[in-house]
Amino acid sequence: MQYVEVLISGIAQGAVYCVFAMGLSLVYGTARVLNFAHGSFFMVGAYGAWVLSDGYLGLNYAVMLTVLVPMLFLTGVVLERAIIRPLRWGRNWKMTTMMVTLGLAFLIDNLNLIVFGPEDKLLMPLFEGSVEVAGLAFSYQTFLVLFSAVLIVVCLELFLHRTRMGNAMRAVSQDMDGASMVGINVNQVFGYTFGLSVVLAGVAGVMLAPVYLISPLGGWAPFLKAFVIVVFGGLGSTRGVLYSAFILGIIEAFVIFEIGATWTMPVWLLTLLVVLMFRPQGLLGVWAR
Amino acid sequence: MSGQLQFWSGVAAFAVAGLLVGESYLYHTLILFFIWTIVVVGWDLLLGYVGIFSFAQLVFFAAGAYATGMLSINLDVPSVAALVLGGVTVALLGLLIGLPCLRLRGEYVALFTFAVHLALPSILIQGRSVGTGGSTGLMGIPPMEVFGKTIHTIDKVPWYYLTLAAAAITVYAVYFVIVPGRLGKAFVMLRDSEEFAKSLGVNDYKYKLIAFTLSALMTGIAGGLYGQYLGVVTPKILGNELFLMAMLMLSIGGLGRFPGVILGAFIITVGNEILRDAGQLRLLALGVCVVLAILLVPNGIIHLRERGWGHAMRWWKA
Repeated sequence: MQYVEVLISGIAQGAVYCVFAMGLSLVYGTARVLNFAHGSFFMVGAYGAWVLSDGYLGLNYAVMLTVLVPMLFLTGVVLERAIIRPLRWGRNWKMTTMMVTLGLAFLIDNLNLIVFGPEDKLLMPLFEGSVEVAGLAFSYQTFLVLFSAVLIVVCLELFLHRTRMGNAMRAVSQDMDGASMVGINVNQVFGYTFGLSVVLAGVAGVMLAPVYLISPLGGWAPFLKAFVIVVFGGLGSTRGVLYSAFILGIIEAFVIFEIGATWTMPVWLLTLLVVLMFRPQGLLGVWAR
Repeated sequence: MSGQLQFWSGVAAFAVAGLLVGESYLYHTLILFFIWTIVVVGWDLLLGYVGIFSFAQLVFFAAGAYATGMLSINLDVPSVAALVLGGVTVALLGLLIGLPCLRLRGEYVALFTFAVHLALPSILIQGRSVGTGGSTGLMGIPPMEVFGKTIHTIDKVPWYYLTLAAAAITVYAVYFVIVPGRLGKAFVMLRDSEEFAKSLGVNDYKYKLIAFTLSALMTGIAGGLYGQYLGVVTPKILGNELFLMAMLMLSIGGLGRFPGVILGAFIITVGNEILRDAGQLRLLALGVCVVLAILLVPNGIIHLRERGWGHAMRWWKA
């Protein structure tokens, strides 16, 4: 059955979307900040990986990731401290934080454009070739992406539900005042959440870079997709993102298979509209307070 | 009444300046400033007074330029009628976007409108069959014609007074008719306390739709003027550059207070013309400026008078 192949590629795609959209949702859920630069961090991750491996330094994937991930985390923490926190709770802060992240997105994109130029960059996949299972061909890369994305999602769920910091993040997202009353350092949680979300965006960028090429404005398409996923699942709900990313990933795979890639977004938006008609807050969302 | 006085003296000063400028390049900069004034005033109405997080402002601007251009190129509508009809078309488009969008809350509106902004260029490029001209855009939009006299792009003085008048009417209508009036009271109430406004019987959806449509109408007309003035419009109108510029005008100028965004528009249009030669670095500089402006003067220079300059220097200690 060809449909099995389509289903598996949909699940793999959904897993990557899940990793990417989870970062957007986490930051919105805990810090109440809508981060328009999320797509740019996706590209920062991909460019970072390219510089560390194929572009200049030639490191292998394991070493590259051990260098890249802490750097992305640090970037997130520093940016939160430098440009989000000074605005928090100020006059019109929801508006100003949105505008500052949008400004940051344009800044990063143009910086990438100046540093790396407008030509697309290609990141080599870790494994070449494909395997044949029961008459169907799967590339190793698909399996690798599927496996690592699922691993990341599982780790993230464990982190959010089993560790002190994860519990603190969920506490802050449920009730900020209550969390701060029981002694959670809310500012620290904001910083770590932002760092984590940049890591998730960047890693998603690394995973998709071998398929989609790396270009300065390439982050906006995934950002839009992440937006649909997050709204579909409910802004701020990580579980909602989990379900909606896989649902939409599978829908996308079937749409590409049946009628072509240009129809992905229209079909997604139609699905979104139908869902929003019955549940305006998304699958599992609660209205923002 | 000091606001009224400020406004009329400002208009008078520009009207007199129009006689003295004499240099075509300076006229051009000021004409752009007048057109941008309409755009940011329309945006200020949404962001600063009603509290709708709309990022669709350049969608209206581009739609205005395209609608006006397409009406006069493809359907031979006379230029003034095309401008008005174009504005009405964009107002309808605003209504159409607003109907689903304004049912959503805060951040959802921002994402929805920005998604429309990101989707529009590809629609315009794909829309060759309906006359959008694909990626080359519309060439040779017929120039403005008033009382049987044609005003070309090179006729700077007539354009100067035409756009000055359009900007003055818009600014007056928004800041001295709409905002102090019944509509404006409902708008500000929705911004400051939506629940309270609703409990007093303000129909939030209706007033938000009115604001959205009004903003679309004036911005659409600004777009139409822009297209007729330059004679060309391409999908690039929705690129990063103009969006960043408009955002910078708002964030430097300051939302929700006359003449905040107008000051911002003046500073940015003039500054942008000065930096014209910086090439690609200019876009980077614009991005840096947006971030810095929001951090250093989060409420714009218009609010500095009351808070003092020292406030701007204390951002790190928040």
